[in-house]
Amino acid sequence: MGAPEPAASLPDGGPAIEVNDLTVAYREQPVLWDIDLEVRPGALTAIVGPNGAGKTTLIQSILGLVRPAAGRVRILDRTIQEARSEVAYVPQRGTVDWDFPTSVLDVVLMGTYREVGWFRRPGRPERIRAVRALEKVGMEAYQDRQIRQLSGGQQQRVFLARALVQEARIYLMDEPFQGVDARTETAIVEVLRELRDRGDTVVAVHHALQTVPEYFDDVVILNVRRIASGPVSEVFTEDNLRVAYGGRVPFLQAVSDAPVADLPES
Amino acid sequence: MLEALQVFLFDYTFRTVALGAAALGAVAGALGCFAVLRRQSLLGDAIAHAALPGIGLAFLLTGSRATPVLVLGAALAGWIGTLAVMGIVRGARLPEDTALGIVLSVFFGFGLVILTFVQRLPLASQAGLETFLWGQAATLMAADVQMIIIVGAGALALLALFWKEFKVLTFDGAFAASLGVPVRRVEFLLTSLLVVAIVLGLQTVGVVLMSALVVAPAAAARQWVDSLGLMVLLAAGLGALAGVVGVGFSSAGSGIPTGPVIVLVASAIVGISLLAAPGRGLLAEVVRQRRVGRRIRADAVLADLYALAMQHEDRRYGHPVATLRAMRRGEVGIERSLETLGEQGWARELRPGSWGLTPEGEKRARTRFLDPDEEPS
Repeated sequence: MGAPEPAASLPDGGPAIEVNDLTVAYREQPVLWDIDLEVRPGALTAIVGPNGAGKTTLIQSILGLVRPAAGRVRILDRTIQEARSEVAYVPQRGTVDWDFPTSVLDVVLMGTYREVGWFRRPGRPERIRAVRALEKVGMEAYQDRQIRQLSGGQQQRVFLARALVQEARIYLMDEPFQGVDARTETAIVEVLRELRDRGDTVVAVHHALQTVPEYFDDVVILNVRRIASGPVSEVFTEDNLRVAYGGRVPFLQAVSDAPVADLPES
Repeated sequence: MLEALQVFLFDYTFRTVALGAAALGAVAGALGCFAVLRRQSLLGDAIAHAALPGIGLAFLLTGSRATPVLVLGAALAGWIGTLAVMGIVRGARLPEDTALGIVLSVFFGFGLVILTFVQRLPLASQAGLETFLWGQAATLMAADVQMIIIVGAGALALLALFWKEFKVLTFDGAFAASLGVPVRRVEFLLTSLLVVAIVLGLQTVGVVLMSALVVAPAAAARQWVDSLGLMVLLAAGLGALAGVVGVGFSSAGSGIPTGPVIVLVASAIVGISLLAAPGRGLLAEVVRQRRVGRRIRADAVLADLYALAMQHEDRRYGHPVATLRAMRRGEVGIERSLETLGEQGWARELRPGSWGLTPEGEKRARTRFLDPDEEPS
């Protein structure tokens, strides 16, 4: 891996991601409304909110995959186009066809496509890096497997490896813990912490509210509008969650009490 | 018979035509893989049908029957058809299959009207325009074949050049966009190549059936191989094969249009692949199902043996088959399951008609039922 760059290279310790007045609408229906947000560099930030809160849209807007109706996004004080190589994306694993004819290593190699550039193919150095990324998520033994043969948790780890191989400084993940087994969850948490300790920034859409305090430093509570954002200890409160989830927060107990089993996704 | 073979091998005209059919089969097969993987098989059909008015209009406007002119008209119309599909999906908020259905039938109907109109014109040169409906390989001239090969090679070269981008776009478009791949433009290029592959085949295969030559080789190839590169190569090979064999049959004096014959050959290839391919084929699936069924039944008996063993001080105690059968509610085939367990070394017939767990069997039962491996098998 490349030398880990300390957060010192950031301009005056400014935010890793800065979102101003972001509004996104699909066919006149606002999905995100006037979002202001600063993501702290070198922290693990969760995005939580009910279904349809615009969590995926927020991630995709930051990545420039969705055209906003208004507002702007800055990444390390640059536009997303300028900052592409600093950003890695882990989409929801359900968005792709896992029967696609390809191998695990091949999928991870896709993370190198940008730097490999037009008209060229990944070579030996890229392969070595891809295998290393697989090692980080405990999947190196599966590199030649067909992706069809993977379990849900293994699919998720492969997606994570594909982001790791990009050697970015900001990682945007859409539900990395969705439907994974306990072993995968532990493995992913470990990788996320390692990234943070290296000074990288991770933003993840997260569903299981009860694990937010354990896994994340900061949290963004979203429901079309930004309800709250900041350190978990300050803003991850019953009141804020009640505003976001409409007063019906069945897992509030879980937040204060002992952790309970994963809530089924509605 | 011998005569037919001689025609096959030595007749110059036949070789030219066969070469053309092979080339377009290869191009259609290769690009068809992306259409199939992107779930756009029907788009190929719409493009082919939408090309018909282009052929008629190109003739009307230029008065020329030259293949390049007609192919250009077909390509333009095919593209406009594709844009129409996208426009309807975006603008009218109709589902894609509805849009495809509308565009396909409207363009094709319009094409038939133009074709009928052209045929009534007092021109000698309009002769043969209707062969574009069902395809007639016999109308291929050396120059046509040359064009197919040159344009087809160009399309394949572009496919090789933008391989990475096409691959990541097809697998995961959002991720491709996050890498900075200009997704719109790459999509445009890929669809354009598909249009090219389709219009190249219109003269030989016809607008009605051309999409089969795009979809069938790819669908067949997918059954046999598990990497995109191999799939594209195999689909190209199968497409070429379908082309050559189809031309052979239709030009062996039968007078059958080439398109239907090519499609029949391609369908036969698909049929065989669906049935017999190892791993994904139907036969393999049946075998797998039976093996899984046997294993599940054996596992159930293993679980019973384990439960019985836990109730006994002597874990190696033998239990009569009748007991096990009662635990399975009189299910038949307990003996078969016990044999399977015996073959695996997990259970042993201690006395005639009396079975007990081996130490390995006990370990297996414990890991399988108490500490299941997360890994799928």
